Amino acid sequence: MKNRSEKGARNRHYLFALALTCASFTIATADFSAAQLMQQAAPNPGPAVGRNAIAFNLQTLEGKAVTLDTFRGKPLVMNFFASWCDPCRDEMPLINELAVKSAGNYQVLGIAVEDTRAALSEFAKEMKLVFPVALDLNNTVKRAYRIFGPPATFFIDSQGIIRDVVLGPLTPNQAREAMTKIAAAPVKIVPDKP
Amino acid sequence: MKTLAMGSSLTSAIVATVFSLFAACGTDISAPNNPTHAAALDFNPEQHLGDVEKNPSTPFLRYRADGHLFAIWTEDDDAGAKLNLSHGHEHAAGKMAPSPLRTAVLALSMDGGKTWSAPKRVNRDSEEIQGEENGPKVAFSADNRTYVVWSIPGSKGDKTRANIRFAMGDGRGGFTAARTLNEVNDAARFPIIEIAPDGNPLIAWIDRRIDNPKPRQLYLMRLKTDGHALTKNYRVGAGLCECCKLGIAFADGGKTVYMVDREVNDKQIRNHVLRKSVDGGATFGAPMQISDDGWQVPSCPHSGPSIGRDRRGWLHVAWFTMGRTEQEAGIYYSVSKDDGKSFAPRYLLHANTAPETLYNNLIAGDDDTVYFAWTNLDANNRAQVYLRTLRPDGRTWSPIQQISNAKGNASRPALALRKNDLQVAWTETDGEESRVVIRSARINP
Repeated sequence: MKNRSEKGARNRHYLFALALTCASFTIATADFSAAQLMQQAAPNPGPAVGRNAIAFNLQTLEGKAVTLDTFRGKPLVMNFFASWCDPCRDEMPLINELAVKSAGNYQVLGIAVEDTRAALSEFAKEMKLVFPVALDLNNTVKRAYRIFGPPATFFIDSQGIIRDVVLGPLTPNQAREAMTKIAAAPVKIVPDKP
Repeated sequence: MKTLAMGSSLTSAIVATVFSLFAACGTDISAPNNPTHAAALDFNPEQHLGDVEKNPSTPFLRYRADGHLFAIWTEDDDAGAKLNLSHGHEHAAGKMAPSPLRTAVLALSMDGGKTWSAPKRVNRDSEEIQGEENGPKVAFSADNRTYVVWSIPGSKGDKTRANIRFAMGDGRGGFTAARTLNEVNDAARFPIIEIAPDGNPLIAWIDRRIDNPKPRQLYLMRLKTDGHALTKNYRVGAGLCECCKLGIAFADGGKTVYMVDREVNDKQIRNHVLRKSVDGGATFGAPMQISDDGWQVPSCPHSGPSIGRDRRGWLHVAWFTMGRTEQEAGIYYSVSKDDGKSFAPRYLLHANTAPETLYNNLIAGDDDTVYFAWTNLDANNRAQVYLRTLRPDGRTWSPIQQISNAKGNASRPALALRKNDLQVAWTETDGEESRVVIRSARINP
């Protein structure tokens, strides 16, 4: 009995010693920031194909409120872009083409990140955008969708489920394939250059 | 016996603790998780630069040879507001579309940042001056001449096919009319300016006059001290990522020039490289990869690397990469102690706390201490500015210090250092509003 209790006490001391060692090591490495540790404690699962699209609440360039629910009931092509971004500019004619050819079967929304209303107004004018542009001026939606840098395009079905994601500039082939996944009516898109 | 057991376990703990601390202290700087501690810096309270009604943003800092501190940033241009009113520039929902016209303004502090002069407008004509890493930069000659560069969108409004503008002090307290430096229009972006040790301004930028293949080129141009062209535009490198600031440092009285940038290959893998010139920037050798990060990204990170050279000739480099996995993402550091022939394995300065592009800067002090400033997300998911120092021994790091408290997001920290005064400035944005914040710290007091 005594032996067991002594062993138990010794074990407790070893555990204490181990805990102290770990604590010391933690203190020694503590400058890898509380925020970093917090990330491990509460990871953001982020968006993924097959998951619900993440809700948002933004304003458009024209000052109208826009949420994910605004688009429910019809497939949605949601494009993150910025006026200063080279590949965004490269793909924008294709995004615009998708919007022009939607014929009410699906919707297109641009979400502008790390940008200003003034710059975006000029950009929308210059690129003759025909779809609404929502302003994510504080990057909250960009972060929720876990986007390091624009462009990125999410294809969301009429039930609000993400069916495809393209990171980087969208190509006609990728667009054609993604559009079939969100059950939008077939869209005739100018094919990729060989 | 009980006491002894506890004593021996405590001894083990202490030995283990001391061992772990020594292990942490003794490892090479290239190994992650080896933070030994230098003191955190004591910063003065925040100051705000510029007219808050005009959304100041994109600060850049520089000390002049006489010890005066200068800050340059951009603000909304009054002419833009007038233009909007006269044109009735309105959207469908009745919200006024703001003007994209921005002006570059320069202010001076003669007391190390405690008080500032009224900002002075640099660009005579109203222009759409770009911000972020494209923002205006200022440099000063040894005899206190002022040189400024910035970029504006191309003739069709395209920011990615932009133009580099230049103006200098006119000797009467104002600035000369701006002129475009790139000889091929609508092809240049991300300008930097430095005064080479020979006294002549050197301007570098990312150029796309040869638009195919897609990676961009590195172009340079030298000016005479009076601002006239000393050289034509000339190409010194290719294969650059389409975006992001460049870094530059000099040695040997200007004979050696070091530049850092992000290179992109045909698989969209982006690694950072050092380019070295031993003929005063006329030609550069093959790019030397600083770290094989394997960052494959087809999108637009817009966060360039930084370089600083200390008195011993060590080249310190910091950069952002996402690496091969999201878990690797963060700000990294490396050093070359052999004049750019090789670099130490990368050291993780601060891991990303969320998927986010981080912006960085560094500066080397007179005592070879290196100061790093960068952005990362805080516990509330807002981007803040952080600071850390590396002691001259190359292994003693200070704790990570958060020095901003932005309500929205802080971005793109700028650094300046002179003797014992360290200055850090950045932009804070919250919705449609922005402001420029500056803080100073006394180092080695």
